[in-house]
Formats: sequence, C-alpha cells, structure tokens
Amino acid sequence: MKIRGTVEFRDVEMGVWVLAGDDGKTYQIAGGRSSLLKEGQRVEIEGDVDADAAGIAMVGPVLRVRSYKVI
Amino acid sequence: MLSRWCLSGVLLVAAACAPAPAHTKVTPPGTASAAQVPHALVVDFRDGTPVEEVAERARRWGVPLHFNSIEGLRSGIAIADGVDDVQGALDRIRGDADVEEAEPLVQVEALAFTPNDPEFPKQWNFRMIRMPEAWELSHGQGVTVAVIDTGIAYEDHGDFVQVPDLAGARFVPGYDFVHDTDHPNDDHGHGTHVAGTIAERTDNGIGVAGVAFEARLMPIKVLDRSGIGNSADIADAIRWAVDHGAKVLNLSLGGPAYSGVMERAVAYARSKGAVVVCAAGNTGMGQVAYPAAYAGAVGVGAVGPDGQLAPYSSYGEALDIVAPGGNTRLGPGNGILQATIERGDYRKPVLAEYQGTSMATPHVAGVAALLFAAGAKTPDEVERALFAGAVSEGGSWTPRAGHGRLDALGALKALGQTPGTVDYAPLLWSAVLLALLLLSLKTKARPGYLNVLLNPATLLPLLLSTVGLWFLKLLWQRFIGHPPPAAEALSLPLPDWERIVFGRGRLASPVMYSALVPAVAALFAVKWRGLRPVVAGLSLGFAGFLLYAAWAKAPGLAYLPFTFLARPWLVLNGFLSALLCRAMLRRESRR
Repeated sequence: MKIRGTVEFRDVEMGVWVLAGDDGKTYQIAGGRSSLLKEGQRVEIEGDVDADAAGIAMVGPVLRVRSYKVI
Repeated sequence: MLSRWCLSGVLLVAAACAPAPAHTKVTPPGTASAAQVPHALVVDFRDGTPVEEVAERARRWGVPLHFNSIEGLRSGIAIADGVDDVQGALDRIRGDADVEEAEPLVQVEALAFTPNDPEFPKQWNFRMIRMPEAWELSHGQGVTVAVIDTGIAYEDHGDFVQVPDLAGARFVPGYDFVHDTDHPNDDHGHGTHVAGTIAERTDNGIGVAGVAFEARLMPIKVLDRSGIGNSADIADAIRWAVDHGAKVLNLSLGGPAYSGVMERAVAYARSKGAVVVCAAGNTGMGQVAYPAAYAGAVGVGAVGPDGQLAPYSSYGEALDIVAPGGNTRLGPGNGILQATIERGDYRKPVLAEYQGTSMATPHVAGVAALLFAAGAKTPDEVERALFAGAVSEGGSWTPRAGHGRLDALGALKALGQTPGTVDYAPLLWSAVLLALLLLSLKTKARPGYLNVLLNPATLLPLLLSTVGLWFLKLLWQRFIGHPPPAAEALSLPLPDWERIVFGRGRLASPVMYSALVPAVAALFAVKWRGLRPVVAGLSLGFAGFLLYAAWAKAPGLAYLPFTFLARPWLVLNGFLSALLCRAMLRRESRR
C-alpha cells in the first residue's frame, strides 16, 4: 500500500521516527534509509502495515518501508 | 459437653478482650524530649470549634494559635510557634473546657531509607511515589519480575557487557525468543533501562536506585534491535515467564492491534497468580494499546514531575493507573534516569534519561513486587492495593488517571485493608485438609466430617485462623461506629495479627507463620480436654493458611536469612499444624 504524509521525530522512549499520514493516522516507520528520516520531509511510502507487530514505541501501527519517494 | 463449649467461649472472649497494643509511639505531654520543637505547642480543641472561638482564646492566652491544616476546621487541631514559655502557656490552656489536649509540639521524623547511590537525588520519580518511605517496609525480597522487552545487559557474554549498576542485582535464567537462545542480552537499551527501574542494584554507591531492589529479574527478549516484535513471541514469553516462576510481568511494549493469542496468554498468567503490568501507549490519544487494554492486564499511563498526564501518554477506558514516565518538554532532568547501554553500541554502559509509558510501567511492576513480598498472595490483592493506595482527585476512576497516581507507601499500607475483600482460599484448603486428615484415621477413631466442621467450638477458631472474623468489624461499623482495635485484630487471620502491632505491608513474621500458636494451645488441651475441639479448629486453620501461603509462593518472611527458606518453613509448619489437628481429632473420638 502507498501512504502519503510527513516524516516526524517523536521524543518518546528512545526516540522514534513516525509518518504523520495524510489519512490522519500516525505510523511508526520501520526500515528505510537514513535519507528518509528527515524532520518535516513530505514523502510517499510504499510498504506494509504490520498488523502483528508490537514494540516499545507504541505511537501507532508499524509501517514496514519497501520504498519511498520525496514529494 | 457443656463445659467444653463454655471453655471455648471463654477462650474467644478472652482473645477479643485482650488489650490492644498501641498503634503509634506517643511522647507523654510535658516530658522533656530531644524531639520537641522549641517554643511550639499543639492544642486539640473540641471537634468543630469555630475559627472565631480559637482566635478569641489565642488573644486571651497570648499564644499565636492557628489551625494546623485545612483539616483543622474539622479536627480542631491548632498549633502555635514563637511561644516563650511553653509550659506556662500549656498550664493556662489546659484548664479550658473546649480543649481536649494541649502539649508541646513534637518533631516526628518520617521513617525513610535514603540510598547512597550518587544520582539518587535526580530520581524525582522515586520521591513522587514515596519510595524512601516504602523501602522501610519492603524491598521486593524473593519475588521474580520478568522483564519482557529487548533483553537486559545482565552478563558479560561474547560482545555483551553487564551494566555496572546491575552487578550484584539478582537474576534468574530467562530466554531470548528473538534468537532462540538462553542469553537474552540487550542489543537495544530499552529493556535494560526498564529493568533498572525495577531492580537496579541500590545503596551500592553507583549510579541510581531501583524500586524493588531485592527482587529477582528474569530477562526475556521478545523485541529485536529496532525495538519491534510480534504477538506470537510475546504470548509465548508471557507463558514461559509464568511457568518459570515469575510473579510480576513487565511489558513496556504494545501495539494497536488486538490479538486473541496474546489476550489468552495474559489470562493464563493471571490464572497462575501473576500480575501483568503493561504500558498504555504513547499516542497521546484516548485509546490504550494492547496488551495493556486486555482484561487482566494493568494498563499504566505516564505523568510528568508536575503530576499531570504527560502529553504523549495514551489514556482511556482501559487505563488503570498512572506513574512517573517523565516529561522532557519541561526541560532537562524531567525524564526518567536509569543505567542502560548506549543505543547503537551495546558495549557501552550509560546513564540515560528517557520518557514514555514504558518508563512508567516498571514503577508499577516494582511496587507490585514489593506488595507480593509484603504478603500479597494473589494478583487481585496486589491490584486492589495498588489502586486503593494511589493518589487521586476525588477518589474515583477517571480515563486520564485511572485509579490515580502510583504511591508505593500508600499501596503497602492499603494491602489487605480494602473493605469487603476476604481471601477464602485458606479456609477452603483447611476444609479439604480436614477430609484428608479424617481419612487417615481408623474408622473407630474417626469423627464425622460435618460433626467436626460445624461444631462452633471448632468452626470459630478455624475461621479466626484462616479468614479472620471480618464480619465482626463490618457489623461494628454498621451498627456501632468506629471499631475498636480488638475488632480490627479479629478481622484479620490470626497469623497476621502481628501486623496490628508492627503495621501492615511488612514481611510476615516466621514466628506467627508457624505451628507455634496451635502447639502452645495444644499444651493446654493436654490437661483440659474440653479445649480439644478448639485446638483442632485452630491447628486446622493454621495448617490450611500456611500450606496455602506456601502454595501461593508467599515469598518473604522477615528474619529468615535466605528467601528460599521461607517456603520449606511454611510447608514444615503447615504439616506440623496438620499433625496437631489430627491428634486432637483422634483423641476426642476415643472418649
């Protein structure tokens, strides 16, 4: 699936990168190169929401990144 | 027959009327004491004495009196300082008809344990939940807490190193479900931080302190080096931890998706007598994450040093309690400081300040361990004490605070004191034990089961030593008012009576948790045969109580040098009590 949104850093736990999606949801970004992880960057991510995942961040569903493009 | 009943009645009445020990040490008024505050006194007016009356007397006596607190309007307690001649002023005051008591003000030092860890002063979170005072009561001795997380930096193994402030902390074997090995070391840093809050080595002159520092940590790794795991591993880990003796499970993790597999694992843990403590989540929205939201889990939200719900903390229907999780928006020093490893370099120990509901959760898990060590036997009991002891506005549950803010001292004091809650399990154990004991007797020497159980001379001491005569207290409250200490004592099981003297929340004494009381009673029954049914009930009750305590892994007994001695002690004394009971039953049937 493709999700558009803004990349943000959240200072919770040990720090976590999220995608504030245009669909109103917040996704925890898993994977993806460091060039993706820039505060305020508008991107379209192609990947899978891992419904089975749980973790320390607890900011929203885990989005496993396959590819992305800056928009 | 009649004389036997009379005797047992006399025994009970004597027990009820026994002088109750004082709850607190009181300095008699007028005695010189180093603890007296110079030039200060306290006056207790008749309850409800209006402010104007107090002010008028203050002028007349020449003593600058003012109500001690907002409670003063109700309690009538006023204090004054800057009094030159305290004794003279007291002489003037004591003659007044509206004065119930007047005495010099006494400084009472709160009992508190301040560890020597150099960074302890930065742990505002521990002061918030009143750890120094709570440490006077319990250290979590003997309770196993599983940290289901990214692992713990608990050993030097291969590339992994032990964090120095965990050296000397107690560990039991755990498991790494990510790599399927017996070495659940931390390659991330999160789990070590969480484990440190629970049971970091404390009073060792290094780093910081931990809540339940005599508890045992069970490291369990379910999250990979990016801090993510799956529901199957987590569910497996929950079951594994409980099956290997964990009484408290800390899950500083979560996700938005419901998993039936994980929910059943949580229910399993609870049914095995473990408390499952989980983070509420960091969405800042009104929906608690799983597993915290499952029935049977304690969902923990986070507050900052100001006591307010932290902006990132999730809240909502499934929130049970809040605990310090930090709020770094208030500036540096407002996160939760703990020893862990550097993110990205697990060979480097650091002290790090993080914020999150993950950081709040181990405070609750640690206090749960304190409660188990202090005598709680079931997860229900632990949770009731946690919630009853929590600090709340208005005293009721709210979606943004749950039952309130965690208070370690409050929880320990609330242990076993919530009204209307009785643990019937020891009574049930006694009833089953009675059947077994009777079966072990020869037919001729065997009285009927119900004849024994329903004989009031046996039943009353049996109730007294297993569940306590709690209904006395309830009846007293209902019809008479504030129950006297004797009714208070009778409402506790007999082996717990020492808690009336030494306070609730402490480790139980092996003297009371033993066959001593029934054995002494049995000595009397040698001469006075009428006492036998009474002693039979008493020893049966002790047997059921002690064996149940052993089965429930009641972990700690005060004064015993090693915690592993506690259970053998309970089992041994349980069996001794049972033998006493058997002797009492058999002898009677011979007559």
